[in-house]
Order: sequence, then C-alpha cells, then structure tokens
Amino acid sequence: MHFELSEEQNAIYDLVVGFMADKWSGDNRRQGLDSYPCQIPGELLREIADLGFYGISLDEKSGGGGEPLLTSALIAEAAGGSLFPSIMNTTLAAAKALDLCDADSNWLAKVISGQQTVAIAIEEPNGCWGLDSIELTPQMDGQGGYLSGSKILVSDGDFAQVFLVAALLPDGPAFIRVNANAEGVEINSMRRLDGQSIVELEMKDVRFEQDDVLGDGATLNQVYDIWTLLIAADLLGNAQSVLRMTTDYAKERQQFARPIGSFQAVAHRLADIQVDVEIGRSLLYGACLALEEESDEATALVSAAKAWMNDLGVKAAETGLQLHGGIGYTWELDIHLHLRQARSNAVTLGDSKYHRARVASHLMSPEY
Amino acid sequence: MDLKFSPQDEQYRERLRAWLDVNLKQHQAVSKAGDVDPVQAARDWQKTLCEGGYLGLSWPREYGGQEASLTQQVVVSEELARSGAPAPINTIGISILGPTLIQHGSEEQKQRYLPKILNGEELWCQGFSEPGAGSDLASLQTRAIEDGDHFVVNGQKVWTSLGMIADWCFLLVRTNPDALKREGISYLLCNMKTPGITVRPLRNAGGGSHFCEMFFDDVRIPRENLVGELNGGWRIARSTLDNERSGLSGVISIENNLDRLLNLSTSLNRGKERAIDSDSVQQQLAQLWIEKEGLKYLGFRNLSDQIANRPPGPAASVGKLFASRLRQKIGKAGFDIAGPLAQVGKKSPHSIARGRLQAMYFDSLGYSIGGGTSEIMQNIIAEKVLGLPRSYED
Ligand SMILES: Cc1cc2nc3c(=O)[nH]c(=O)nc-3n(C[C@H](O)[C@H](O)[C@H](O)COP(=O)(O)OP(=O)(O)OC[C@H]3O[C@@H](n4cnc5c(N)ncnc54)[C@H](O)[C@@H]3O)c2cc1C
Repeated sequence: MHFELSEEQNAIYDLVVGFMADKWSGDNRRQGLDSYPCQIPGELLREIADLGFYGISLDEKSGGGGEPLLTSALIAEAAGGSLFPSIMNTTLAAAKALDLCDADSNWLAKVISGQQTVAIAIEEPNGCWGLDSIELTPQMDGQGGYLSGSKILVSDGDFAQVFLVAALLPDGPAFIRVNANAEGVEINSMRRLDGQSIVELEMKDVRFEQDDVLGDGATLNQVYDIWTLLIAADLLGNAQSVLRMTTDYAKERQQFARPIGSFQAVAHRLADIQVDVEIGRSLLYGACLALEEESDEATALVSAAKAWMNDLGVKAAETGLQLHGGIGYTWELDIHLHLRQARSNAVTLGDSKYHRARVASHLMSPEY
Repeated sequence: MDLKFSPQDEQYRERLRAWLDVNLKQHQAVSKAGDVDPVQAARDWQKTLCEGGYLGLSWPREYGGQEASLTQQVVVSEELARSGAPAPINTIGISILGPTLIQHGSEEQKQRYLPKILNGEELWCQGFSEPGAGSDLASLQTRAIEDGDHFVVNGQKVWTSLGMIADWCFLLVRTNPDALKREGISYLLCNMKTPGITVRPLRNAGGGSHFCEMFFDDVRIPRENLVGELNGGWRIARSTLDNERSGLSGVISIENNLDRLLNLSTSLNRGKERAIDSDSVQQQLAQLWIEKEGLKYLGFRNLSDQIANRPPGPAASVGKLFASRLRQKIGKAGFDIAGPLAQVGKKSPHSIARGRLQAMYFDSLGYSIGGGTSEIMQNIIAEKVLGLPRSYED
C-alpha cells in the first residue's frame, strides 16, 4: 500500500509547470478574449507533442509512455494552473479514446505526435449533460450511414481536423468519425467565456462508412469518465494557482500598517481554500486509481472529484478576486482569467448537481 | 500508487474477523445482561483487545506493544469499526499520552505506565485546559512549587474528559512564573487518588456527563513523575496535541454515521415517498459521501507520509478541521432528513432511531472545540502551512 506520487510523476508535474512558466502567460489568454479563439503558436504545440505528454498514459505497445492515468491528470492540473488552453485535455482524452476504441495505430500515432487534432463531440442543444441525453441517431444503410443533426460546446473544434461524434446506433451508443472538411459539415465557432475554442458542429447528410464507427457504450462511458477527470484536474490546478497568487499578495500588500494576510477574515478564507485543495487532490488521486483498477466505485469517484472541483475552482477564483481588492477587479490581473476558466469548466461535462446525482444513484444502487 | 493489502495483511484480517466473531459477541452479551458496571465492562473489553494483540500496534514490544506494520494498523481500525466494536475506554491514554511517553518519557516511566495504559488497568485523562487558558493554552496558571522531592500543585483544570473515572491524569503546570509563558511549563503525571484533588462532573450540551472540572489543593506529586525536563513541558505538550489530531479512525466512524443516515432516508417516509426519493436529500447525501471520500483519501495520503517517516506536523490540522465540519454537516443532515420528527426525544412515541440522530448532532458540535477549535486550526493552516503572518501578538 502506498498512496503518493512516484518520482517520475513529481518530475513530470514540475516539468510542465516550469515549461509553461517559460512559454505561456495570462497575456496569451487575454488576447484570446479580444480575438477569439485563443491561439497557440504552432511551434509551441510541436514542442509539447515532442515532450510526449499526449500519449503518456497509453501502453508502450500503443506508442505511449506506459504511465498511469494519474500522470495525465497531473499534466492537466499543471497546464490548467498555468492557464494553458484546453487543447491539452482534449488531446489527452482523444488519445485515450482512440486507444480504448482500438483505432488504427497510424491514426493514434498522428494524434499523440500532434500532427492531427481530434475533438470529441458529445453535448447537444438540449440543456443536459451526459451520454444519456444523446439523441443524435444516424440513418443506417448496409455499409454505413448518414448523420444529420448538431453537436454543441465541442472543445477545440476550431482546430480539429477530425471529430469523434457520439451517436445512438442500433446496438447502442458509439463514436462516429467525421472529418472537419467532409461534405455536409459546418463548423460554427461559439465564444467560450474564457476565450477558448468551442464550436457548434452542424451535420447535414454526412456520409460515414462502417469502419468510421468506433467503440461502444462501455468505451464511451470510460472516455467520458477520463475526460471528466482531466477537466477536474484542470480545475484543481486553477484553484491551486489562485491560492498561491493570493497568498503571496496577502503577505505583501500592507494596509493599516500590516500585511492584509494577518487579518483573520483574510487568512481564514485562504486556510479554507487550502483545506479544500487538499481534499480535492485526495479525490483526484482516489478517482484516478479507481478508474485504473476498474473499481465498482470508479464512476462515483469520478463524479465526486468533478463535483468537488467545480465548486472549488469557482470558490477559489472568486475568493482570490475579492482578496485582491480593486486590483482583483481589473482586466490586467490574471484572476478573472482563472475565474472564467473555472466557471466554464464547472459547466463542462457536468455541473456539480449533475455529478452529485450520479453519486446519489451509486448510493441508491443495490450493490452499495 | 496502489491501495492493495498484501496476502499476509489479508490473512491477518481474516484472523481478526474470526477473533471478533467470538470475543465481541461475548462482550456484547455481558454488556446486554447489564449486571456488570458499564465502566468495568468497558475496561474488560479493552483488556480482551489487549490480550488479543489488537492494541498498541505501533508500540515497542517491550512495553506491551505489537510493533505491527502500518497496514496492519489500518486493517485493525477498519475491522474494529466495521464490526461495531466499542473503542477502548482508555483512548486518551492510548492515542494521546502513550506516543508522548514513548517519545519523551524516561525508561522507568515507560515501563511503569505503558503496559497499564494498554490493558486498561489505569485510565487516563488530559489535564490541559483551564478556565482562563483554552485556545491560549500556554497562559495556564495552575502552579507547581518544588518542595524536596515533590511538587505541590494548586489550581484548576476544566473540560477534562473522563476525569471522573480516570485513575491518572497528565497535567500541564506552571513551574516558573517569571519565565516567558512557554518556558515555565512542566508536564506531570498525577495519580487521581492523591489527597487534595476534587472532581466535579459537568453536564455537556447534549445532556451527557463525559467531562468535568478538577480542583487541586496542595496536591503532592513525586518528582519522578515529571516527564522530560523541568520547564520543558510545552514542547512535549505540542507533540501530544499533534498525536491527538492525526489518524484514520475518524473517517470510519464518520462513514458509520453516514450509513446510518442513508438507512434512515430509505426507511423513513416523508409524504407519499421515502425521504431518499427527494432530489434535495439525494443531493445532500451525495455531497456528504463526496466529502467522506475526500477525507478517506486524504487519510491514505497521510498514511503514506507516515510510512515514509514524514511527521504529520501542521498538515494534521487540515484533516482535523475538515473532519469536524463534515461531522457537523452529517449531524445537521439528520435533522433535515427526519423533518418534523427531528425534535422528538428518545423513549417517546414516534421517536426516530431511538434518539440517535439527536445524540449524533450534539456529539458533532463538540468536535470543533475539543482538541483545538476550528478557528485555531485555521490559524495554524494560515501560519504554518501557507506561511501567512501571525494575526495577533502572543
Ligand atoms: C468535547 C470536549 C472535550 C474536551 N476534552 C478536554 C480534555 O480532555 N482535556 C482538556 O484539557 N481539554 C478538553 N477540552 C477543552 C478544549 O480543548 C477547549 O475547550 C478548547 O481548546 C477551547 O478553549 P476554550 O474553551 O477556553 O475557548 P476559548 O479559547 O475561549 O475560545 C472561544 C472562542 O474564541 C475563538 N478564539 C480563541 N482564540 C482565537 C484566536 N487566536 N483566533 C481566532 N479565534 C479564537 C475560539 O475558536 C472559540 O470559538 C474539551 C472540550 C470539548 C468541547
């Protein structure tokens, strides 16, 4: 029994934090708010791919790094805390998805080497989350079929060459591979609150073949859980960064001839966030381990982590804004960027209420 | 990262289960018959646990301990809690004083006291708080003056849990009133039968009498009962307080309380449906489960630190603060779920779970005060974990 990060994991986390501190800043994100969507220089994307992050949690025989899922989550955490865009999570999730669906190895290799961006399209314009609310049903014929309908909130759809579109097939849910440039596809940018890329994907009689169908209900659930956990990790990193920023400020900023951090009304709010961050970190590790070991509680733990991190991310950023005073309310300070990212992620792949409902159904199941 | 137990640990668990099957049933039968004094029955149960080898797991063998592995300790705390076995009555001696003596006591003190802490022959209480010294413990006033080979103690202690049944008390006293407040404190072991001690039980808010106040009038304590150096008691008290705040056992009792709530909400009807069928009850229970899991995995992280010999230090306050808040949320949720009947006292018609919810609620309110208040935990986290400047002159 041991429940702590390995040396490699610590090293990778530190590497990502250091890398991002060098190459990325809040200014890039502020620009994204004025000229949507937030762009990432191709050079930087290539460097990231070359560091081998995207496939880090895939088996070595799939061309990956052989690390557990938690290592990907740590990368997502470090990237999220550095305000690096969602393409990190999207690609980590897409690589996992292709691997779980036994996709062609050349295709997978393209994705983990950063030559192709794959976006995952799940949500539809019905105000709900989750695989249960998918209604998109293709028209099937012998060799494949036609897709008509729309997906929304598709992360990084502005950059994607390929979409994995979740749909209801006669045998249950599956992904359908749709190329961005296929006939009948229309991609409309949606402005995300934090300047990141999300799109509406309109499909009109889009043709697909039998071998464009990937995965089944079980793999879709796994992909949903993994992606959800990566976004939870992003929220955790975000909260951790805001806490660090605000703690530093509370030590420096003087009022009434003393640092504001010496006022308990300030200090106790920061202490509470520290507690919530530690609990969040514990939930993240626990959920990653449960998914890895395919425990019966895995889905409930993923939801536990997401629900907790949704609340934590928002609370940390709002507290950080308040405790910075007037400066906290300015465009220049990064706090609003963290808040925007937290607010957006907190309603991506399920808000707290949705995930608590998933936990509740676990508690009410006969196996519990 | 993994949370698997070794095959040896699993065998150990099986043996413990079989052992509990026999011994716990016996104890429960004796307690139920009701013709043994409950304190005596609790002491006997502790003795049984001790003889079975299920107490003092981390302690050295020469003082009656087991020198068991940490994973075996986890197994024992899990199994004892799952089986519903009562905690050993001398928990204060075992989990607070014992580790302190192992670290700071003299060889004679270890041999004299540790085995009897474990087998329940001598029950201990903690004489730290005073009417004028709670959060600011170091300002304590109880005086001890050296007189030959004795200390003569005068003063008052309060909120002493189990003071009325304890045989011994570990006591903080002021031995040098002229020194800075932390530098004039000594740590003494006091036999409760010494002449000059008066113990008065206090009823707590929940109606029980589990703590008391104690008055010391010219109480003579032999010099050999000094732990550590004269005027060196504060440092030792600090390690006592750290011991008080760490550990996994809290989670398991929280888990039991939460299971109780879940059972209640499936068996209790509110209107035409069960309590659990309401969306808000589901949301509330889910949130409590999420927090319980967070605390559980935090416990595993702390345990890994222990395995790697990293002391808990101020981070123990994170778990203490979070756990007491969670207990209180569970306590309050009991009232929410029970609805109109939440107010009905035990032993009356329509009472729920024989008054247990109410007991759970009141019980939970003490957790954010005893062992250091939640506000003090927040101060510690702010100062020692986040490195923020102190909020007050001290
Ligand atoms: C169930 C229970 C069991 C106990 N068992 C024992 C025992 O066995 N032995 C023993 O010695 N003691 C025991 N205690 C006493 C306990 O340790 C003290 O009650 C506790 O440390 C608080 O001290 P106080 O009661 O003097 O409150 P105070 O210190 O007067 O606190 C009053 C309020 O002021 C707040 N406050 C005080 N100082 C600060 C500060 N610096 N910053 C912010 N807020 C502050 C506190 O948080 C609290 O809300 C027990 C208490 C309880 C409730």
